[in-house]
Amino acid sequence: MIKADVKLDAKGLACPMPIVKAKKAMQGLEDGQVLEVVATDKGSKADLAAWAKTVGHQYIGTTEEGDVLYHYIRKCNPETSAAAEKTFEQTATNEEAIAAGATILDVREAAEYAFGHIPGAKSIPMGELADRMGELNHDEVIYVICRTGTRSDMAAKQLAEAGFTKVYNVLPGMTGYEGELQKEVE
Amino acid sequence: MTNKVAIIAANGGLFDAYKVFNIATAAAASEKEVEIFFTFEGLNLIHKQGMHALEMPAGKEHFAEGFKNAQVPAIPQLVEMAQELGVKFVACQMTMDVMGLTKEDFVDGIEVGGAVTFLEYAKDAAPTLTF
Repeated sequence: MIKADVKLDAKGLACPMPIVKAKKAMQGLEDGQVLEVVATDKGSKADLAAWAKTVGHQYIGTTEEGDVLYHYIRKCNPETSAAAEKTFEQTATNEEAIAAGATILDVREAAEYAFGHIPGAKSIPMGELADRMGELNHDEVIYVICRTGTRSDMAAKQLAEAGFTKVYNVLPGMTGYEGELQKEVE
Repeated sequence: MTNKVAIIAANGGLFDAYKVFNIATAAAASEKEVEIFFTFEGLNLIHKQGMHALEMPAGKEHFAEGFKNAQVPAIPQLVEMAQELGVKFVACQMTMDVMGLTKEDFVDGIEVGGAVTFLEYAKDAAPTLTF
């Protein structure tokens, strides 16, 4: 099971209902949260991806179980995400982070991680970092990565404030990663 | 990029209704501004009684089962949903005069206008679709 913040049951519904329902459901999510849409309409796979692109949300991926499709979409706000400044000073490129062989901490949502991450990367979603810092060692070198460098910037700052010193924000992040992906889904 | 979709509904069969309202609701759900201009037989699609009894094209009646199996919403439901999503309905004044119809014959919340009303809206819309 892939973790999502809100689930929408659109099983049995034909086009355009999964889209209409998704739009309504999305209004109840906070920016950055993940919506799971469960549908049986085969066209919903292409439609939801296109819809997300049109309205500016992030289409994460789809899994299939028999005739049922599970779609994952992360709510984005194009205005705030484009404006976000990255201010954490210690940065590294994707290549440097991978070559270092140190801990790569992926702070994207669990669903994003499930659909493809750098092999060996550890997953702690941004929202869980404060509670799960104990899983990290203060002395270790940590390369923090997300999709575009915004969430990892915030996470790196959080870690630095908590006393982690060898922390690097990885830029550009997963959007610029073309290497092998490890997946938790088929 | 324009955010407006303009649709002309000029035919009044059941298939026509689905083409119009599926595209309209999908566009509205994608944050587009949508306006539909209902003219000639297209007025059936928002007629209070007419929209409940739209006909299939002759010889295609056997698709009724397919609609049922696919759980496609009924047209009045799609009409309501479209309005809920903010799709604007404009009924053609000239056709209404010809057919002896008034605003009260149609679902609530529609506007009445002429060709120029639609053209003004559609001048910077992309796409403009005709069904």
